[in-house]
Amino acid sequence: MNGIFLAILGAAIATVLAGIGSAKGVGSAAQTAMGVLSEDSSMFGKMLVLTLLPGTQGLYGFIVGFLILVSSNVLSGNPDVTMAQGFAYAGAALAIGFGGLFSGIAQGKAAVSGIAMTAKDDKNFSKGMVSVTLVEIYALLSFIVSLLVVIQVPNFG
Amino acid sequence: MKTVRIIALREDRKRLLEHLQDSGLVQIRRGENDGKGFKKVDKTSQMQVFERNVQLTEQALKILDSAVPEKAGLLSSFKGRREIDPDELGVIASKSGDVIAVCNRIVELDKTRSDIAAELVKIRAKLEMLESWKELDIPLNTTGTRSTAIFIGSLPEEYSLSKLKEKLAAENPKLEFELEVIHSEPNLTNLVVFVPASQRVMAEDTLRSLGYSRPMSPTSKVPKVKTQKTIEKRERLIKQREDAEKEIESYAASREDIKSTQDYFRVRADKYNVINNLDHSKHVFVIDGFIPESDCEKLEKLCARVCDCCVEFGDAGDDAPVKLKNNKFAEPAQGILTMYAAPGRTDIDPTPVLAFFFYFFFGMMFSDAGYGILMVIATGLMIKLFKPDKKMRNNLKLFQYCGISTTLWGLVFGSIFGDAPAAIYNMFTGANITMADILPWPTLDPQKDALLLMIISIALGLVHILVGMGCKFIVCIKQKDYAGAFFDTGFWMLMLIGFAVLGAGVAFSPVLITVGAVIACASAVGLVLTQGRGKKGIVGKAIGGLASLYDITSYISDLLSYSRLLALGLTTGVMAQVFNMLSTMMGTNVLGIVFMIVIFLIGHAINIGLNALGSYVHTMRLQYVEMFSKFYEGGGKEFEPFSLNSKYIKIQEDK
Repeated sequence: MNGIFLAILGAAIATVLAGIGSAKGVGSAAQTAMGVLSEDSSMFGKMLVLTLLPGTQGLYGFIVGFLILVSSNVLSGNPDVTMAQGFAYAGAALAIGFGGLFSGIAQGKAAVSGIAMTAKDDKNFSKGMVSVTLVEIYALLSFIVSLLVVIQVPNFG
Repeated sequence: MKTVRIIALREDRKRLLEHLQDSGLVQIRRGENDGKGFKKVDKTSQMQVFERNVQLTEQALKILDSAVPEKAGLLSSFKGRREIDPDELGVIASKSGDVIAVCNRIVELDKTRSDIAAELVKIRAKLEMLESWKELDIPLNTTGTRSTAIFIGSLPEEYSLSKLKEKLAAENPKLEFELEVIHSEPNLTNLVVFVPASQRVMAEDTLRSLGYSRPMSPTSKVPKVKTQKTIEKRERLIKQREDAEKEIESYAASREDIKSTQDYFRVRADKYNVINNLDHSKHVFVIDGFIPESDCEKLEKLCARVCDCCVEFGDAGDDAPVKLKNNKFAEPAQGILTMYAAPGRTDIDPTPVLAFFFYFFFGMMFSDAGYGILMVIATGLMIKLFKPDKKMRNNLKLFQYCGISTTLWGLVFGSIFGDAPAAIYNMFTGANITMADILPWPTLDPQKDALLLMIISIALGLVHILVGMGCKFIVCIKQKDYAGAFFDTGFWMLMLIGFAVLGAGVAFSPVLITVGAVIACASAVGLVLTQGRGKKGIVGKAIGGLASLYDITSYISDLLSYSRLLALGLTTGVMAQVFNMLSTMMGTNVLGIVFMIVIFLIGHAINIGLNALGSYVHTMRLQYVEMFSKFYEGGGKEFEPFSLNSKYIKIQEDK
């Protein structure tokens, strides 16, 4: 009995949950942005920046997933994971999975408001942008926790 | 910043203002000498004429663009304004009348075109109505001749000629009739029935029983003729429209002239707007404004050259606008600063600090030598080829400096298009080497040494925050707020330094732990003693002092925020590595190599797009939220000189 399944499950949790968060966030931001663009297409650059901000959670999740696949040697074809390591991977993945899921959605909401604010007066753009990134710190903290565990797991017994 | 007052004769007004506008030295404000023998001159109507012309040319350009789209490259938005000779301005001015006539003509043609389009819609509806009667060659309202009654109308069913004859004969065998079917379609037959005048009533009854009805609006016009005429008219209109379109297209060549003329009128409108703000007496007028200190001498020389006038300088008060002046290294970051806010009256200009940390952090987050070199080359080429305007040029410069920093950090992290050199080498030789094996210098792999890099990130964050607080310290000293400088800022700086030394002590030597702890405790005591100084009573002071220690949490969260340096740096590297892995997947045959090149290009393009954006945004956030919150007030106004505020052309500077 080894922990391959748990390692892959961990990679999946990290990628999928964080991905859902980002997809929801970017999706709602993009909807609003397109509404703005239909009125004034010259705002495309600013809208793009604000729309993409909730996209980082998905990236973080993907990176944790990828690192799990690399360090558990799933990618090189001869996986070598003990049960304990498998559980560790799965546990580590939960952090960015849920952190990314909820912060992605929340950041999406903030981005929607930022877009509405920028649409009114594009001088507000930088303030909106900074406010939207305030949410990101929590995704970031989750990511760091996941990351620090994942790179240490191969040293576990 | 200085205030400036120029007094000159009214007859020199035009010349003087033109020179001031060309030089762009002075920001002119509204005069405040009303009633003391001075009054304003109203030039609004002239200004409106110019503004109307600007609008007219804008409209004409829009029409031209939709008729003959301008050939614009993908990168043309980087292009600077066209440079023209000062002499060319005279040519533009003299041609402006003709150009305005052309614009009027274009707008008129466009109106004709849309009128015709509306007319064509009407004609189409008319033809549709006539469609079922178009074969009829007598007027629709004919009722008969002396001996014959004629019924023109429709039946609500489809009949052929023979079938209808049968039907009518069956309905009323006594009826003598002759009929023609003009048109038949499902549920509709248009017909003409001829009967002897004597049988008119009988025929009408018979037809009614089949559901006969008269046309809705019988007229005396012959449908056949009318249809033909309408078709002819339609063709004439279409021809007219084509002619109008051709004529519009023929004006495409004057697009450049229209643009220059638009700028010419825009500049003149600005000038008249300024005249509105000046105070005039019978013979002289007064210009009040602001000027940067360094330009005072230039202005004096300029005025002396242009006309007899009197120039006075004074000290600007608190409401003076701010002009940022920085060296080549820091100037590109001014845009980032003004995006936040221009410095307020008590602020120092933080651009140099901002610039350094912006380049530094951007590089650390983007951290790839390959991408960095691409950035440097791309921005360099754009500056060279397009000769962009100052603002765009500064933006490009900003990314060029960021590119240099990115390259350096990429070399530190051992990342050149991710691990592309190693991956490609492995693909062809089947070896299994890493970037660390290739690069001759020791590298810091963010994947393996994540913890170390996180500590480095937070340490850099500490430096960043301390620099921010240092700025606050200087600001306080400048304002002679010594309590604010030493107690509010100094103690916290000491406290942070104390913790830093303590942290270093944990890693290196126990002596430092003691030193750090002593510094931190001492500054904590200092804070408790001083932070309640605004409160009343001993108890209030003590509580205020103790409560201030709670601020430590905000410093901790600020510091943790810098872990994004690690996170984004890692993201770039890992994403690049993923794309390299995908691209080298298909083996070393020809197909595999083609596949590799395609995936490599697409993948890295995606990675550059995503992560450059992320690095830019997060670098900005670190500056705005973590550093500026420590000292920067903002709220100033930018210096906006009276100048040639043009869109398409700019006047070459004298060399």
